[in-house]
This record gives sequence, structure tokens and C-alpha cells, in this order.
Amino acid sequence: MELQKFTYDNRLSKMFLQATFFWGIVGTLVGLTIAFELIFPHMSAGISWLSFGRLRPLHTNAVVFAFVGNGMFTGMYYSTPRLLKTPMYSELLGRIHFWGWQLIILAAAITLPLGYTVSKEYAELEWPIDIAIAIVWVIFGINLIMTMVKRRTQHIYVAIWFYIATFVTVAVLHIVNSINIPVSFLKSYPVYAGVQDALVQWWYGHNAVAFFLTTPYLGLMYYFIPKAANRPVYSYKLSIIHFWALIFLYIWAGPHHLLYSALPDWAQALGTAFSVMLIAPSWGGMINGLLTLRGAWDKVRESPVLKMFVVAVTAYGMSTFEGPLLSLKSVNAISHFTDWTIAHVHIGALGWNGMLTFGMIYWLVPRLFNTQLYSKKMANAHFWLATSGMLFFAVPLYFAAFTQSLMWKEFTADGFLKYPNFIETVVQILPMYYLRATGGTLYVTGIILLIINVLKTMKMGTFVKTEDDQAPALKLHKDTGHRFIESKPVLFTTIALVVILIGGIVEFVPMFMVKSNVPTIAAVQPYTPLELEGRDIYVREGCYLCHSQMVRPFRSEVERYGDYSKAGEAVYDHPFQFGSKRTGPDLAREGVKSGKNYKPDSWHYNHFFNPQKMVAQSIMPPYPWIINNSLNTSLTAKKIRVMQTLGVPYPEGYAEKAVDDLKKQAATIAQGLRDGGIDVSDDKEVIALIAYIQRLGTDIYKDK
Amino acid sequence: MTTENNNITKRENDYEQETLNNERLLSEHEYDGIRELDNDMPFWLKWLFILSIAFAFIYLIRLWVFRSDDLYQLKEYQAEVAAANTNPAAAARSEAFELVLLQDEGSLAQGKEIWTKTCAVCHLADGGGLVGPNMTDNYWLHGNTLEDIYGVIENGVIDKGMLSYKDQYSPKQRLEVASYILVKLHGSTPAKAKEPQGELYE
Repeated sequence: MELQKFTYDNRLSKMFLQATFFWGIVGTLVGLTIAFELIFPHMSAGISWLSFGRLRPLHTNAVVFAFVGNGMFTGMYYSTPRLLKTPMYSELLGRIHFWGWQLIILAAAITLPLGYTVSKEYAELEWPIDIAIAIVWVIFGINLIMTMVKRRTQHIYVAIWFYIATFVTVAVLHIVNSINIPVSFLKSYPVYAGVQDALVQWWYGHNAVAFFLTTPYLGLMYYFIPKAANRPVYSYKLSIIHFWALIFLYIWAGPHHLLYSALPDWAQALGTAFSVMLIAPSWGGMINGLLTLRGAWDKVRESPVLKMFVVAVTAYGMSTFEGPLLSLKSVNAISHFTDWTIAHVHIGALGWNGMLTFGMIYWLVPRLFNTQLYSKKMANAHFWLATSGMLFFAVPLYFAAFTQSLMWKEFTADGFLKYPNFIETVVQILPMYYLRATGGTLYVTGIILLIINVLKTMKMGTFVKTEDDQAPALKLHKDTGHRFIESKPVLFTTIALVVILIGGIVEFVPMFMVKSNVPTIAAVQPYTPLELEGRDIYVREGCYLCHSQMVRPFRSEVERYGDYSKAGEAVYDHPFQFGSKRTGPDLAREGVKSGKNYKPDSWHYNHFFNPQKMVAQSIMPPYPWIINNSLNTSLTAKKIRVMQTLGVPYPEGYAEKAVDDLKKQAATIAQGLRDGGIDVSDDKEVIALIAYIQRLGTDIYKDK
Repeated sequence: MTTENNNITKRENDYEQETLNNERLLSEHEYDGIRELDNDMPFWLKWLFILSIAFAFIYLIRLWVFRSDDLYQLKEYQAEVAAANTNPAAAARSEAFELVLLQDEGSLAQGKEIWTKTCAVCHLADGGGLVGPNMTDNYWLHGNTLEDIYGVIENGVIDKGMLSYKDQYSPKQRLEVASYILVKLHGSTPAKAKEPQGELYE
């Protein structure tokens, strides 16, 4: 058979690799900053773009899309050509992908701290950036598919299956969840509202974990573990079963983020049932990774690369066991809104994604630079820093979560809440927040060692720009069963697409078409223009990151916050603001005058200016800029019109009157504050925010 | 770079055998040097998968076919509230009692504890007033009798931001706070007194 010669180009892998450790240190440093902000609330020093609510989306986006994203592309651009025995289809597309992706990250790093956000977690970026992501993603996909088409191997390897699933699913998720109507260049409203928006968002959010943090990394695992250990993959049959089961089942599991919320019971039940079924398919990946190392365990002791892979795969096994556990309603009743969620995702991010990336880098850099690793000792030190950092991060948070949740739920013998003041439960777990920040510091130190080590290694060697290889031309022969679709990559991609579409369709269609899923409440009315502007400030500041707006139907929550939240109350909420974490109390009933938590306007004003003045031990940062900024009403009319196109029933022509109404309402609130001795003018942002806060949860009490 | 190979293979009749664990390698499964073994899924993992599918089906059938109460969150909530209401201790919330000023140190200490924990946020620990009015002077917005003060604690003054504490504290506890205000705070000298509000009661 005649062998064809061809060349692999390592330049793209190198570029993505450099971006990986650059964004790795940025993303984790931002994380460390906000961990410290929770202990020292005045650390942001009244600077808006340093406040927790602005930086937290930057942290998650930087770690997920910049660090892990560049990590996955590093591995993909290295392994795909080698597994398919052909260069990448187009170096140019690869370069557009690289620079496009970095520009998107840069845009995120600028817009998020400035408060341009849609507020849907891990999908915060505004619409122009969303469009750029879609374009760049499709460019990446074309390159991947065309490389498969041009391949010289009969079959595509399991790593490539996972790359395919990543490409198609992230494309679908991103596009469906990002359908927003623009108000201006950097402001838009999602087309979905309330419970429906929440369902779409968590279908996206959960599967961003599945198809951005899991499937691409399983693909990397299937390439780099056998390569680094020089051992055959444990079971091809297991690969088939766990691949298809994983991608089919994952997509259904999103509703487990909304257990005990206003989402209908049937949808919640699907979330629970499909999450439980995910244990074995997820563990299939862990088993195939760990059992591939049989016969190489002596090397694991020696090699920092394999050690990191072992911790990565073990962390993957832990968090994919924990996921289904958290999806059981009885466990979720305790875990949801607490730091358990934070601990859980960090086992995944620090353990699975972090360690696999580090192991891959330590394996790849000496090969790309044709040299030895500069210091194995440093790599071992990094291993221990990262492992202990992860444990120091997660274990205290598990403890904090249990403690706080049980305190929220505890009643006295007389039937009163034992800890009616939310702040008591915060103070109790603060020591755990110190420990978490310590764990984070250890982990970041490890990354600094990695960067030094990698830069030194690069300097020692010379970059291998291209590598030659040879293989016979592709001559397809007949196949049956799974081997058949492995030899038809476009067919494979199509089947994967169909498989991942099913779950979403089955959940969305009834949720959008059957009216009884969101029972209408006549008293619920659209927000006034001032409240709408206040709501946009609430979104801009990321209030939802620490305050939920979803009272669950538990006696302890109804007793603490007021009547449980109903689906019909959020029908004009574009986007929904249910939140997923309670660092502070729930705000769903904050405005109810006869309620449990009502505070006068003056309290809110003082509290925004300096929370510790009103609640001495509070860990909320101050928001002086909201007090000082004048409210921008130039977009108010446009906002009303966009809301009208989304079906929010403002009277016809209301947009033109909106600013007048806004001013009237603002004047009333400001006058009330001035009567209480507070020196404030009508046009400040804080007035709008107070208007919104005082509206929260009040609609259903209007008749009473 | 060492390329020591742990894949020691030997040829059997029509397939290759991996010799470390004596397992069969799949022929034609070679990708950039990576081989695949012909092992089955571990049996325990297979059973875990089957059982989890069974769990899921039973779960969904209980919800959709049998409509089990424990899977409907509002029924669960109603049951939880009903159970709480039959708790005899909870009856203390609505127990009848006599509204007389408490003077004993024990009760006043209890009142002080509640004051520090809950009321001090708005009225300051020494009662000097912050958002809420000063408790130490002779000016009162809503009356100065025990009944008046107890009533404010019980029902709140919603428009001014004073919450109702009838869901947080038992009647006895409310009386302890009211007594603490009248006996201990009133007439004391706070570090920083808020300006007088309301009417003067001599």
C-alpha cells in the first residue's frame, strides 16, 4: 500500500496552550478575589467594577470559557489531526477560531465588570458577543467536520465522538438560550420569561457543564491517558455505551436546578429521574480512564502527569456521583441555595478540568518543545498544592452548607424559627469562608508554579512547528453496527444531534404550549417604567448571585420569607431572577408590607450606601455608585416597546408616556426619603432600585 | 523522551493478546498508537445502570400514574404545615397570658438578649435610635404604655418599617422585650441619642 506523507502543524496547539495558562491564572485570581470579598465586604472600596456581583460572572466565564475552553482547544487541535491521520482541514479557520475566541474573552472581561449582562448564569454575555460566539463556534465545527471528512483512518476514535457531541450540543444550547431582543448595542431582554426562561436557562446551564466541561474533557482523557500511560483503552464496548447514554440522558437533567421551585412537578421529576440515570454513564468514563491505567500504576507514582490524571478522573467520579445525589428532592431541599453547590462545581472545575488540563500541559509542552520538563519537582509540588487546595476549598464549604441549611430550617419547640435573622446563619459559617479562601490561595500558587515551569521548559527547548507523518490513503471498506457509523462522521454528527435534541424538545414543548403549566394570576401586572429600570440595575449589579427570588414551599421558608413563589408571578420577568445561591436572604417577598421582611425605603437607601450600618455583621458590599449615579432614562421608552413585542401588556402607546410616569413615581419615593431626612434627588439610580425592591412579591396581595 | 512500551502483545490465532492482563486487543482499533481492549462493561456498573433506570421509571410512574402525594410539592407542604399545627408546643404561640410589666432580672435579661439580637439593628443596642426612634427619651410615636409598646412589637408599624414580630417571638418573649424597653432602656443615657420623635409624655 502506498503511504501518503503529510505534516501536523503544532502552532495552533501552542497558541491555545499559552492562552490556557494565561486565562487559567486570570480566572482563578478573579475567583480568589471574590472569595476574599466575601470575608472583607469593603474590599471592593466602592468601585463598581470590583464588586462581587460584577466579578463573579467574570470568574465563571473566565474559568469555563477561557481556561477550560482554551484547554479543550489545545488538546483538540493536537489530537484530532493525529487521530485522523491528516492535518487540520484549514489552518486559517483555526487561526480565526483562536483569535475570535480570545477577542470574545477580552470582550467578556471588559463588559462583565462594567455591568453589561443578561444575568443568565454562564450565558451573561450581551447579544453582540453572543453572535460572535456562534460564528466562531461554527468555524471551529466546520474545521472539525472537514478534518474528519479528509481523514485517512477508516474509523473515528472515541475521543472524536466526544468532540463531535461537544460541537453540536454547545451550538444548540448557546443559540436557543441566547435568543434575546436588543434594546441597544449592549442591552437586551431574553424572549422567554419567568419559569420558562428558567427552564431554558438551566437546560443550557446544566448542559454547559455537560458539553463544555465534561464531553470535551472526556475526549481529551481518551487521548491523553492512553498516550501518557502507554496502555490500551480498557473497554471499547463501554465507550460506546457510556458515550451514547451520556449525551442522551444529560440533556434532560436541567430541571434538577429548579427542584421545589415554581416549575411544575412533572418537569422537576424528569430532572430527578434523568439525573439518577446519569451515574453509570458518567462513571463509565471514570472506569475507562482508571482501568486504562492498569499495568501502569508504578508509573503513576513517578509521573506528575499521570498523578494529575488520576486525581482528575477521581474528582470526575466524585462530582458525577454527587450530581445525581443533589438531584434527589430530599437532598436538594438541604443543598440548594447553599455553598454545597459551590463546593460541588469546584470539585468539577478544580479537580476534573483543572487537573486534566495541568496533566495535559505537562505532557504536551516537552513534546511541543522537544525537551524535558524543566522541573519534575515543581510539577509534583503543583500536584500537591492543587490537590490540597481543592480539598481545603470544598470540605469547609460542605460543612458550611450543612450548618447553614439546618439553621435556616430549625424551629423552636414553640414553633418559631430558631434563627429568624438571616445574618446569624451567615456569621456562623464565616470561618469556613476563610478556609475556602486559603484553599483557593493554595490552588492559585500551584498554577503560578505551572506557569514558571512551562515557560522555563519552553525556553530550554525549541518549538517543533511541524511534525511529519505518513499513512495510506483512505479506502473505505464495508462495516456493520457501530463500526459503520464510526466510518461515517457526518452521519455520526447527525445522529448525535438528533439524540441531544430529544430531551429538550420533550421538556420545552409542553412547558411553552400547555397553559396550565404557568397558571395565570390576574393581579400580576407589568413593572412600572421606574421598577423596570430598577430591575435592570438589579441585573447589572448581579444581585441575583447572592439573593434568590424563589420561596420554596417549605414551612421554614414560608415562615421566614412569606408565601411560596408561584409560576404566574414571574410571567413578565425577562429574564427570570430566581437565583441559585443565598449568600443573603431571599427577596421574592421583599416588598410585601404586611410581610416578614418589609423595610422602609429609608432602610434600603442606607443599606445600599453602607450595609454594615443597618446590619453590623453583613457581608454585603456597599453600593455608593447607585446612590450617586443619575438614572439614564434615554432607553426607557425603547425598553417598554421591546417588552411589548415580547408580549408584556403595556397599553398601546405607553412607551411615550413611560418617562413621565417614571419621573412621577421617582418624585414620590424621593420625597418620602427627604421627609425622613435623607438628602437625595429624584433622578438617582437608587430610587429606581428601591422602587423595584418594594414591588417584589407584592402583586398577589393587591386585593387584600 | 523514553518510549518504553507497556503494551506487550502476542499473536493468538486471529487476534492479538495484551499480555499484562491477558486481555484481547481489538484488531483494526489503532488510533495514533492507542489500542482498545475487547473488555465488557464491568458487571457491577451494568447493574448500577439497570437499577438506576428502574429507579427512574418507578419514580416517574409513581408521579404520573399513581400520583403519589409525596412527589407533589404543594401536598408535601400542606402535610408539613398540618403536622406543625398539631404540635402541642406550638400552641404556646397563642396561649392566653396576662400583660403586666416584668421586673425580675431573669425576664429582663431575656428581653435584653432579644433586643440585642433583633431590635438593635434599627434602634441601636443602647436604644439611642438609628432608623428606628430613640427609646431612652420621653418622646413616643405610638404611646408609652406597656400595652402600646407590646402592640407595636406584635403588629409592627409597617409604613415606618417596624416589622410585626408575632411570627418570630412568643407572647411571653414580646412582653420581655417590652418590659426591657420600659425598665432598662427608657431613662438611660445612650452614647448618641437620635433627635426626639413623636409626642412628649411626662
